[in-house]
Amino acid sequence: MTARVLITEDEPNIVESLTFILKRAGYDVSAVADGEAAVRRLRGDPPDIMILDLMLPKLNGFDVLKLVKTDTLLRSLPVLVLSAKGQAYDRQLAEEIGADAFVTKPFSNRDIIEQIGRLCPAAG
Amino acid sequence: MAQTVIGFKIRDRRRALGITQAALSARLGISASYLNLIESNKRNIGGALLKKIADELGVAVDLFDGAAERRLVNDLAELSGESIFSALQLAPAAAGDFASQHPQWAQALVMLHRAYHDRNEAVTALSDRLNQDPFLGDAIHSMLTNVAAIRSASEILENIDELDAAEQHRFLAIIAAESARLADVAQALAAFFDRARSSTRSVTPIEEVDDFIQEKESHFPQLEQAAVGIRAATGIGPGHVESALIDYLRQHHAVETRIAPLLAPDVAGPHAHGHYDPERRQIVLLETAPAPTRRFELARLVARLECGELIGAEIAASPLLGTPAARRRAERALHAYVASAVLLPYDDFLDAAVAARYDIDYLCHKFGASFEQVCHRLVTLKQPGREGIRFGFMRSDPAGYVTKRFPLPYMSLPRYGNACPLWAVYQAFQTPGVMVRQLAEFPTGDRYFFLARAVDKPLPAFSAAKHLISIMLVCEAIHADQIVYGDGLDLSSAAPTTPVGPTCRLCVRRNCALREEDPIINA
Repeated sequence: MTARVLITEDEPNIVESLTFILKRAGYDVSAVADGEAAVRRLRGDPPDIMILDLMLPKLNGFDVLKLVKTDTLLRSLPVLVLSAKGQAYDRQLAEEIGADAFVTKPFSNRDIIEQIGRLCPAAG
Repeated sequence: MAQTVIGFKIRDRRRALGITQAALSARLGISASYLNLIESNKRNIGGALLKKIADELGVAVDLFDGAAERRLVNDLAELSGESIFSALQLAPAAAGDFASQHPQWAQALVMLHRAYHDRNEAVTALSDRLNQDPFLGDAIHSMLTNVAAIRSASEILENIDELDAAEQHRFLAIIAAESARLADVAQALAAFFDRARSSTRSVTPIEEVDDFIQEKESHFPQLEQAAVGIRAATGIGPGHVESALIDYLRQHHAVETRIAPLLAPDVAGPHAHGHYDPERRQIVLLETAPAPTRRFELARLVARLECGELIGAEIAASPLLGTPAARRRAERALHAYVASAVLLPYDDFLDAAVAARYDIDYLCHKFGASFEQVCHRLVTLKQPGREGIRFGFMRSDPAGYVTKRFPLPYMSLPRYGNACPLWAVYQAFQTPGVMVRQLAEFPTGDRYFFLARAVDKPLPAFSAAKHLISIMLVCEAIHADQIVYGDGLDLSSAAPTTPVGPTCRLCVRRNCALREEDPIINA
């Protein structure tokens, strides 16, 4: 069963690159561009792993993360937090809420693939 | 405290100029033997004669009467309260000795203190700018996002061999597009930092102008004369002040006056009630500006158009105004001075003030002036032989920031930071519009009469919040019986007073309930 990745990121060019490399690594990839759309997807059709940007329109990344990690059904979903605000404060807050991994922009593609692979192998 | 030895200073100066006692005394209209007594400190002189001597010897009167020294001592005393010196336990009382024995070194210390404050302000402002300017946070976020897209796409192009032409093209396009956006952000950041470098202003021009005005004791005789001339020429009289000024500007300077509902924000600052456009020869006054403000703006424009040379000479002659910024500021202050003298003519104003026992509301009505304008004018009534009560003046906003100060020679007003919280100037905020009077006694035993009122700050447009400023006049308690506001107060030497200090840090009253900060010195 191919693992499914949901990318929650509002920058289309980053979504395109990430989609390309994740597909190449054997994942099924879909994307949403804002926090509210992410919540709808999570409730309706949850993925196997999520890449979550912190700066999102409508509902911000921290709120989405909190929603996932406090929900009994969703809390086991691995979340890799991606952020341009790489300050220690944000990292610590994300970890407190329950993020499984934290990657700062600009990232290297290899890092993403390694972290995703660690949390959720492509072929499940 | 060292005594100011006026006589010796006069003698030194006279000798430096190579003038004999006989010659100088002849010019002064006194006998040579009397001059000798003066120079030997066997006679106290003051006022008019001292001024004459100073003029004949070509120096400012405060060189002799010690006013410059007293200011230096006050500045040193304030400096001694700085927290960086707390471990030294500087005794403010020793400032007097230091100032009289080593005046240049003392002055150097004061100058360093000002420069220190200047740097602190600039550093704080720059630091705040870096930490809190939303533009910077946004710019950095954009940059990181653009670079992330570029890096990810670049890695794909570099590491993956099996890209087809379409895919290659796609990722190259991403790099091109993101690089362009990154370039914009980088340029905006460069511009931001360029502005930051050039835009920290010094706070010292305000102080230079302060010193300049204090050195002249807030009185400029030549400007007073010019104002008399202007008033006569404009034909200002009771009931036709504004119209007389408008007509005068039109007839003598071809300047038209226009009333407008708003001022264009790019030409006038947010506090401006009027703006003069020299190219179109037009002064625009705000519709909402109160009448005293409109009159003042018009009078100020006349001063600007007619007294340029006189004011320029006054400023050029002062060694205290070292920077162009200070000179520009002083120029504006002197325009305002002339305007005030035109609208509140010296003789009439002084006579009315004395007759009304300094009833400020009466003076406001009689001259159609604002509370602040009247108070400020009271400070300038220093014409030798025709003086009013000597007043100090302080204007504070509700946060305690002092925006205007004219200290008395022996009672200083703080330059940095706030004063004692007991002072009437702060109490006045609790009862806006009401005159608060206070008989204040300092730890030295000196007693002063404080008179303060919080008034509305005139704002150009409707504002839901009330904005107040508090204005305080100060005079020696001994004069309070000449002031209507002293009526009903027990002014005798045994009278109860409010025990105050200069500011908590410098004050020795240990048991004061309002003490905010430990004193620097352990009394």
